Amino acid sequence: MATYVLAQFQDEHALCEAARRLRELGHTDLDAHSPVPLHGIDEALGLRKSAVPLIALVGGVLGASGGYLMQFWMNALDYPINVANRPLHGPPSNIPITFESGVLISVLFIVFGLFALCGFPRPYHPAFDAPGFESATVDALWLSVRTDRTRAEGITHELERLGGTKVSTVPEDER
Amino acid sequence: MSVDTKRHAAVVNRVDPLEPVPVLVGRPDDRELNQTLFAPVWAKTRKGWLVLFALALALTGLLFTAIGYTFAVGIGAWGNNIPVAWAYGIVNFVWWIGIGHAGTLISAILLLFQQKWRTSINRFAEAMTLFAVIQALLFPLIHLGRPWFAFWLFPYPSTLGVWPNFKSPLLWDVFAVSTYFTASLLFWYVGLLPDLAALRDSSKSHAKRVVYGIFSLGWRGSARHWRHYRIAYLLLAGLCTPLVLSVHTIVSFDFAVSQLPGWHTTIFPPYFVAGAIFSGFAMVLTLIIPARKAFGFEHVITEKHLENMAKVLLATGLMVAYGYLSEHFIAWYSGNKYEQFVFWNRANGPYAPVYLLMLFCNVLVPQIFWSGRARRSIWVLWIASILVNVGMWCERFVIIVTSLHRDFLPSSWAIFKPTVVDWSILIGTIGFFGLLFLLFLRFVPSVSASEVKELRRELEHEAAPPHPVERAAR
Repeated sequence: MATYVLAQFQDEHALCEAARRLRELGHTDLDAHSPVPLHGIDEALGLRKSAVPLIALVGGVLGASGGYLMQFWMNALDYPINVANRPLHGPPSNIPITFESGVLISVLFIVFGLFALCGFPRPYHPAFDAPGFESATVDALWLSVRTDRTRAEGITHELERLGGTKVSTVPEDER
Repeated sequence: MSVDTKRHAAVVNRVDPLEPVPVLVGRPDDRELNQTLFAPVWAKTRKGWLVLFALALALTGLLFTAIGYTFAVGIGAWGNNIPVAWAYGIVNFVWWIGIGHAGTLISAILLLFQQKWRTSINRFAEAMTLFAVIQALLFPLIHLGRPWFAFWLFPYPSTLGVWPNFKSPLLWDVFAVSTYFTASLLFWYVGLLPDLAALRDSSKSHAKRVVYGIFSLGWRGSARHWRHYRIAYLLLAGLCTPLVLSVHTIVSFDFAVSQLPGWHTTIFPPYFVAGAIFSGFAMVLTLIIPARKAFGFEHVITEKHLENMAKVLLATGLMVAYGYLSEHFIAWYSGNKYEQFVFWNRANGPYAPVYLLMLFCNVLVPQIFWSGRARRSIWVLWIASILVNVGMWCERFVIIVTSLHRDFLPSSWAIFKPTVVDWSILIGTIGFFGLLFLLFLRFVPSVSASEVKELRRELEHEAAPPHPVERAAR
């Protein structure tokens, strides 16, 4: 059964250092929690670049091309209406809606892509059971390790040795 | 005290002679920031808030009564006639949507330009955007005459087999404004997530913890989330920047694409965008000055912020003045007598008082901000910001009503007189806007705590960059 070991750290250097050390020891399922984004934490945790920009690009391209094709198909092919003898397919007059639909779909992709990447909504997380963890969104830095229960004790000692305080172990939810 | 700490202390306390007023007074730590910035949310409801809320609720009631009456008897309840077929409905729409633009400018454009002074006012300004756009969205709906067919504006597969005409700027408007509302709402909500989580984690009662827990979606400041979040927020800002420029451009196309003298001009898109930012900043000032006083936020929303906003008012006011100048010049230079008549009629016709009020509020009033003392005087700022909003409403009235009421044929000229229903709807939207804003101030932190925490770290870093040896060790 999986278990979370959590520890609070004083400053970001100690936290990054501890994360590096634990990764050297072979623990890869690490996470840090902080009220503001930390510098250098991505490297320390070995996180790859975010996929959000790609998602945004895909959304933008789909939205803009979809928006243009929609106008072309509806006004020039499916139900052509002659309004004041304007051309049925008038590219310049399609620009505003093409732009707007590109932005709209891209924004929706970014936001819901972000939620999907973060696993939201997930109002409950085992880490919330760690005593004092409420400070993670207020003023404290936390490091969490998801590991097998048998290795939890070793990690606890290691975190204490690396300067972590309030070290605690919480089981992954089995409800 | 070691030499190093002495050096550090000396650097931190140094006052920059070029920036005598800081963007953040003192160096409150994270916990203090949470306490002060969330205090309005946790505090008991205040009497002043209740009084304002009751007033806003009454005006909202007036708004929906007037709208209900309009739906029951039709658009004839308004003062509109032929030739003034567009009147308060569109004046109010353009006015409200313009007010909204400052929020996006502050939160998105100033973020991309890395302006530190945006941090403590962006949440506030974005909320203002949302609520202003909600007021604006009411008008296209209620002015339709048969609002229950509003969905005809959207391209849905109907049994008629017909699609909307995408060559009409009015339809571009539908897409622009609905995209703008959706994007602003999502941008605002994403920006709120860390603060909602902090509210969840500092709430005293179980019920509040559950409610804020649901809205924060499970945010726990995870590094794995921050890495997606930061880039997502930046990309949203990047998309909102051209979006906000496109929205008022498209609103101006409603006029500029027509053939009517006074509307048919190429200056409209930039002139509308400048006017929108001008009125929006005025509205931010109108709201933020009492709010920062009431909540004791003077240390995060400092004189520096107010002064910068006054400078933006001055700059955009000058752009608006240039727009007026250009319109009049082109009318004269075109040699077109219909075009010339519109501008003569604005200054000398039946609506001349509105025109003069517009010039006074939008051209003369902002000139006071050349003076540093005026920019730092709370009362001058507040009164000027209200006058600017009055002026911008007059501008839309002048553009729409004076251009329409005397068109090509003198036999079809007419005078537009607003009715009680017209006034009720205008005043009612101000009440409804206030109602939403009061709810926002009560239940959501109006200054982003997580961003102010980040700002404080940046300022500390600037004041005392890490020692070279320390930096090398990182």
